[in-house]
Amino acid sequence: MNHPPSSTSAEPARSPSGIGIPLCAALGALALGLTACTSGTTPATTAGTQQQQSTAAVRQGGSIVIGAEQEPDCADWFGTCGGSIWGSYIMETPTIPQVFVVRKKGSDWVPAASDLMAAEPTITAGAQPRITYKLNPKAVWSDGQPITSADLKYTALQVRDGKNIFDKTGYTEIASVDTPDPRTAVVTLKHPYGNWKTFFSGEYGVLPSHLLQGKDRNAVMKNGYTFSGGPWKIQSWNRGTSVTLVPNDRYWGAKPRLDKVTFQFTTDTAAAFQAFRTGQLDALYPSPQLDVIDQIKQGLPGTALQTDAQTGNLEALWLNDSRFPFDSVDVRKALAYAVDRKAIVQRLYGPLGVTSPNQSFNSPLVSGYAGTDFSQYSLDQAKVDQLMRGAGWARGSDGIWAKDGRRARFTIVSLAGNKRRELTEQVLQAQLKTAGFDLRIQNTTAANLFGKVAPNGDFDLGLWTLVDSFPEPSLDATFSTSAIPSAANGQTGINFIRARVPGLDPLLRQVANSTDDTARRSASLQADKLLAAYVPSIPISAVPNVLLWNKRVGGPIAINPVEGPWWNLADWGLVK
Amino acid sequence: MVTYIARRLVYSVPVLALASFVLFWAVRTTFDPLAKLRQSHDPTVLARETARLGLNRSVIEQYGLWMKAFLTGDWGTSTRTGGAVSAMIGSALGSTLQLIGWGVLFAALLALAIGLYSAARQYSAGDYAFTALSYLGIAMPPFWVGLLLIQILAVWPQQQFHLAHPPLYFVGLHSPGHSGPDLDYFRHLVLPVLTMTVGLVASWSRFSRATLLESLTGDYVRTARAKGVPRRQILVRHALRNSLAPFVTVVAMDAALLFGGLVVTEQIYSVPGMGRLFLDSMLAGDVFTLVPWMFVVAVAMILFNLLADIGYALLDPRVALR
Repeated sequence: MNHPPSSTSAEPARSPSGIGIPLCAALGALALGLTACTSGTTPATTAGTQQQQSTAAVRQGGSIVIGAEQEPDCADWFGTCGGSIWGSYIMETPTIPQVFVVRKKGSDWVPAASDLMAAEPTITAGAQPRITYKLNPKAVWSDGQPITSADLKYTALQVRDGKNIFDKTGYTEIASVDTPDPRTAVVTLKHPYGNWKTFFSGEYGVLPSHLLQGKDRNAVMKNGYTFSGGPWKIQSWNRGTSVTLVPNDRYWGAKPRLDKVTFQFTTDTAAAFQAFRTGQLDALYPSPQLDVIDQIKQGLPGTALQTDAQTGNLEALWLNDSRFPFDSVDVRKALAYAVDRKAIVQRLYGPLGVTSPNQSFNSPLVSGYAGTDFSQYSLDQAKVDQLMRGAGWARGSDGIWAKDGRRARFTIVSLAGNKRRELTEQVLQAQLKTAGFDLRIQNTTAANLFGKVAPNGDFDLGLWTLVDSFPEPSLDATFSTSAIPSAANGQTGINFIRARVPGLDPLLRQVANSTDDTARRSASLQADKLLAAYVPSIPISAVPNVLLWNKRVGGPIAINPVEGPWWNLADWGLVK
Repeated sequence: MVTYIARRLVYSVPVLALASFVLFWAVRTTFDPLAKLRQSHDPTVLARETARLGLNRSVIEQYGLWMKAFLTGDWGTSTRTGGAVSAMIGSALGSTLQLIGWGVLFAALLALAIGLYSAARQYSAGDYAFTALSYLGIAMPPFWVGLLLIQILAVWPQQQFHLAHPPLYFVGLHSPGHSGPDLDYFRHLVLPVLTMTVGLVASWSRFSRATLLESLTGDYVRTARAKGVPRRQILVRHALRNSLAPFVTVVAMDAALLFGGLVVTEQIYSVPGMGRLFLDSMLAGDVFTLVPWMFVVAVAMILFNLLADIGYALLDPRVALR
């Protein structure tokens, strides 16, 4: 699913944007499937697709401490307080079983049936598709109770019918859940729904009905929970300090090698890197902020580094299409030619090996659904002049375009305190001034930006990240007219830019609803062409992920762009 | 004394009431209590929470409801975490009090010692050195001091002496698996306490020097000298004792400010205290935490003011508490 920006100054929560909240539907993209890896002190300098893995043999037992730059607000993953991507990384993924997990197949990350399932779930065609789930008979909760179809039913109905649910996307399409036997669940949909693999997967896993049915789920889970259906259990969560995981002895799959993993909340990046250097922390997964890149450039002896641009995080320049001057397609196109996206990307992520802009609003995570249509837009002042003059604009004595007495002056809003975005804004300001646009910077807090400013359409330009939380396309959430915040959708739509691209809605609807993947891909590519033709906004770049670990730690260490770097924590260990 | 304290506490009630209303009004008009929920995909949540929280009432009505609940021990629920605000503030206060307690104790003793030395050896090389250092300490921002101390006292010794672990830690107040006041705790405590005390020592040592110098010019000191009282005795038993009263007042007032003023120190050292709670709540627009947080800090200010007055009276018999 694709979510909007999150609530912190760092990177995404579980929705679109580096603004941390799940608004996502799935933006995908093609362009940068870059994964550059290095070890030791040399940062990646070229784009590539290789991933470094620690091949050193590891022993059984021991413990490690990992730095976590964000603390989740709560551990009720369904609730409105549970939309933290870090919560998903450090507690949800290790403890909550999911139907589909995201694994790499060839060069792409794709949904794959997990070991919770006895077989790959199947879906029927037709107006009301039926999805059949067959559970693995070995699957049990940490208290020894089997994981049954009743758990799937409880989970589906909690999301569909529950109050204060963070994101009901897709679950509202569920007509009924039948449980013909304890190991079989059949979900009947009201309408075809293309992203059906997100059910019981991605941001929501399966919860134990025998422990939660009839109880206040939020009260049971919000401060951490004792049950588990994954390889780890939450031993403790000391608010503000740490989360500690220990192995779930009843897990039916491969048992963890480590005896204990502690995620220590480290709120200052510079101090976190010093703690990593001194061995207080064994691994870090920092947001690729400027200071992080500086630290990496300085060198980190005795450590390994993986950078991965094949992510679901897409930074974009969001234009309010309902406001002057961006209510004009020509002005939007002119802006696309006025921005040197490549220069911005190289300035921001060049040291991490990311050098090319994204040419689609589909993030690299869903690159199979993305075109390269935005590649037609690169810095070209002649085209800016041509488009602006053609639309009746003329440059004033100060070099700024003006039309009918109104100057091409507008503001950009992003998160105050986010140094990377502030730098991006400054670069944009300089580039646009050269092209004849007067850009002002007016940043604010995440809560204000995504709680008020963006939903109310009270902005000219915005800079935030769209986050795909599952490798399925979902641009309909961002660009379909039905997603424009309105009374009809309870003001919860995330088409903040008020995009109204002729002919786009049917294509996005097909991408969202079709269960025929070939048809979805075709519709998605056509949608990309329309988006590039009307330029409702401008994609800039994937936000790469960065993982660092010291040589004390080994195992198949690699970033999973959806489940995070700790997706295979059970296989991590201390080097022999 | 008891009557005085009781009277001061009673006087503080209307002050707190007014302060709480101003804070409530300011926070409610500055932040959107439902900001976080506006990002929910549940279209019914806003209307439901608006009704449940009484946000459709006037600010005065909302304040009345909030104060009534607050006085009965219900400090509300955080929109950020869903947890009880009283528990969150209690936990944060515990961490911050540890820093304040150790920091104020250490800083006060050191500042007094430096002030004593500087006053006793006014215009000496040492006095000039401490003067220069104190200006440096006042000028240095805490985030820079913190990172510098980490480098000098933790990273550098570990690298220089090839230690398995740094001599001092700087993430949180305990290592995983540790709790209580053990050696690990003090290895975590040193750096944040030093960071917060640099500025305090710098300003307090200047103040103690000035008050000591003033005391040393007093008639009673001249008389003591004339009577042949030893210099050390004059300094400690006469001048220092007389300068303690204003010094304690300044310390108490500054300590009160620390309740909400350790944002940077707590951020650098990942200490889950009041400063971090404020920052997290502010960024999330969590008004239901911000208002009680500010109220607690306001109460701390008033209590420490009272403590300062009481301390002054205890240290200076000429002052009567009426």
